[in-house]
Amino acid sequence: MSLPRLLTSTTLACGLIAILTACAPRSDQEVGEAVVNVYSARHYSSDAQVYAAFTEETGIQINLVEANGDLLIERVKQDGLRSPADVVITVDAGRLYRAEQAGLFQASDLNGALDQVPATLKHPEGKWFGFATRARVIAYSAERIDPSELHGYEDLADPKYRGRVCMRSSDNVYNQSLLAAMVEKQGEEAAEAWANGVVHNFARPPQGGDSDQISAIAAGQCDLALVNHYYYLRMARSNDGDVKAQADAVTLFFPTSETEHTHVNVSGAGLAAGAPHREAAEIFLQYLLSDKSQRAFAELTNEFPVIETVQYDNPSLAQIADFESEPINVNALGENAGTAQRIFDRVGWP
Amino acid sequence: MAINELTLPVRHKPALRGVPVWPAVTGALVCGAPLIAVMGLAIFGTWTDYLIHIAQTRLMSYVLNTLVVGGLAALTAGMGGAVAAWCIARYRFPGCSWLEWGLALPLAMPAYGAAYAWYDLTQAGGPLGFLPTVNGPIGAGLIFGFTLYPYVYLLARETFSGQSVDAYEAARTLGCSPLGAFWRAALPMARPAIAAGLALVIMESLADYGAVVHLGAPTLSVGLMRAWAGEGSTPDAARIALLLVSITFIIFAFERQQRARARMTNPAGHTRPARPVTLGGPKAWLVSALCALPLVLALILPLGRFGWRALNTHTHTHLIESAFNSLMLAGLAGLIAAAFGLAAAYALRSKKPLAVFAARLAGLGYAVPGAVAAVGVMIILSGVQMGLDGFWHLNTGSPFPLLLTSGVFALLFAYLSRFAAAAIGPSESALSRVTPSLDGAARTLGASPLDVVRKIHWPLISSGTILSGLLVFVEVLKELPATMILRPFNFQTLAITAHNYASDERLGEAALPSLCLVLLALIPMIWIARTMVARHKTPSGLDNSGRVQS
Repeated sequence: MSLPRLLTSTTLACGLIAILTACAPRSDQEVGEAVVNVYSARHYSSDAQVYAAFTEETGIQINLVEANGDLLIERVKQDGLRSPADVVITVDAGRLYRAEQAGLFQASDLNGALDQVPATLKHPEGKWFGFATRARVIAYSAERIDPSELHGYEDLADPKYRGRVCMRSSDNVYNQSLLAAMVEKQGEEAAEAWANGVVHNFARPPQGGDSDQISAIAAGQCDLALVNHYYYLRMARSNDGDVKAQADAVTLFFPTSETEHTHVNVSGAGLAAGAPHREAAEIFLQYLLSDKSQRAFAELTNEFPVIETVQYDNPSLAQIADFESEPINVNALGENAGTAQRIFDRVGWP
Repeated sequence: MAINELTLPVRHKPALRGVPVWPAVTGALVCGAPLIAVMGLAIFGTWTDYLIHIAQTRLMSYVLNTLVVGGLAALTAGMGGAVAAWCIARYRFPGCSWLEWGLALPLAMPAYGAAYAWYDLTQAGGPLGFLPTVNGPIGAGLIFGFTLYPYVYLLARETFSGQSVDAYEAARTLGCSPLGAFWRAALPMARPAIAAGLALVIMESLADYGAVVHLGAPTLSVGLMRAWAGEGSTPDAARIALLLVSITFIIFAFERQQRARARMTNPAGHTRPARPVTLGGPKAWLVSALCALPLVLALILPLGRFGWRALNTHTHTHLIESAFNSLMLAGLAGLIAAAFGLAAAYALRSKKPLAVFAARLAGLGYAVPGAVAAVGVMIILSGVQMGLDGFWHLNTGSPFPLLLTSGVFALLFAYLSRFAAAAIGPSESALSRVTPSLDGAARTLGASPLDVVRKIHWPLISSGTILSGLLVFVEVLKELPATMILRPFNFQTLAITAHNYASDERLGEAALPSLCLVLLALIPMIWIARTMVARHKTPSGLDNSGRVQS
């Protein structure tokens, strides 16, 4: 390529950018049109299905940006008053709390629809709500652990399981939220003692994702781990024989005792403070709580619906759905997230 | 000797007076703006006790892991890249014409992709479970070394191909073995190119987040993301980012100082490239295997694992649209970056302090983890937006259209500011081969500065410039955080699709978009490799002698 040709193509490229920039839709002009701008930290196939059904039923188009929750929050903050965001969706209550603290949400009862959501799964003033839940539970080797000896999360810190516990990094928000819930319930000191005990029981340095902890138990590298229930169900429902075999070697334990219940986190959504299409956004948020959507979350992503009366066709999920969740408001997960992380740092849980 | 002395006075004069450097300086300052924004955030953001907390608890282990990961990546990529480049440039063996461009392909494999695949392969119960599990700082360092060595390979191969054979042959005559001559004569002359490649390798390893988290090798970039995600403090994340940038800056200030001390221009004033030696027998196959090894480890095995998982998984659609978007973004960014890199290399050559400062500042953007760089871009864009809104309002009564979400402008800005180092490095390295005496000779013969650039420099540096464009092209194909957060609505790319699945632990579904990513990277690579190979074969590229080196 000669220099003049390079210069010509660069000039052409710059021209193309100008055209692209000029032709792109301008969200300002869409105010009043049937559209809702969604910033989502989820990227599941169930969502695509829910969004498509929503547009079909209501005629409201969905403009979607999917990215990691922290980045989404930062973007809404930087966009300020001009933010085109109508709805922000995250997969963790801690993020919703942080967005709310930054003033990014406004309260709405969604024309009464919010009353269907249990009080523990929504913001006390209705600034956001959970539309599906995930339980963080103990995965154990069906072969090497006697379930009658399991009581709850405190077992993971029990010295008798020294060198037998696999854990994911504490960078992971699900671990942070679990510890945040302990801080809320038992206080910082007890939570720190627990985390310290778990670190002493590590079979290996924290690594991998939730599915990898299940694989490690199946391979005999450790006997206990903490996982979100849907990773296990996905493996158990896999078409891949090897993957299914790994899940079969592992069982889930949902802590349910007098003192301790199962830790749940939410996939949640909130109405953006400056939502340019408020009405459409409220219809969309209501739709997330509709029977159809709730069913899609249960059937396609193995999440628990927040509305208990919803019927769904997913026997594996239904089989484990009967557990008691910790009766604390998930907002507390956000309040204590910083404390939880500092505990992880102090006890040396990487 | 006489010629050598003649060149001495020219060396220290700023070359090419009359070629304007201000466009490059402006461009570089604009590219550096997001980094300045991050610095601003670090200094003026709310101060808490978080840094004290982290210093008392985990800072030391972050720094240690960072050093191990960066050091091992540099070692692996440096050795692998330089040796592969030498073999390709100097020998002919089975598969070498294919490997010549194939060796660059692992660049298309995102490091986190390779990390997921290798971990999946070697963890207990995996198909390669008999091998030590690829994890921890050592595993991460190796993963970076094997996926990023093409930076070194591409730059070094370019240098070895164009290198005069004189020094190497002199070393051989003086009794060095081929290996010894490579080590003592050829390698030192390729040092600027290898250093430029290593700079990219180290910066990218240190800025990575996905792979080190998955493999359990928490580096400073993990500490930074924890400050943001766990503590909720973006300013503290920015502060740790600055620490990361400082470490990188010190390493490269040191390297540049070393490089300045040992100037590698060719005093003879002409180059006599080597004719490749044709290898035969087992030796040939050994070299083939050696050169194919990095390709197998970094690309073929991980893709094989993805593919195998994909066969057992139901896959999805929208790939064509994503591929088109990826290609458009990467192509545009690559073109602009090539032009910018070239201009910046000249600005650097002018040695004007402002130009050097601007280009180095722009280059540092590469050392910042993508997510933080994206925040810097957002800060700049929202500032510009406010300014434009005010101005527009005065004139038209309505605010300016949103910069974000209204096209690819924001994305291209982010890419250029983040990958300026990849744009500048190859051009700068190529330009360093143009001896100052060449300029002097051309000017003495009456050439204008632009003539010098067009007729003397361009033929010598064009491949470096094209390489700049290619590197940025591939980087943009893989880029995640900035693309995720700055893209327009309903805009998918292959990297985002692959990442969405991989981050949700669905390797099988991530496989197909990953495969497409590599295939897309193939297209320009084959074209470029062919262009380069063709040029090396033209008569003007060969010197008078036509001797075959033994």
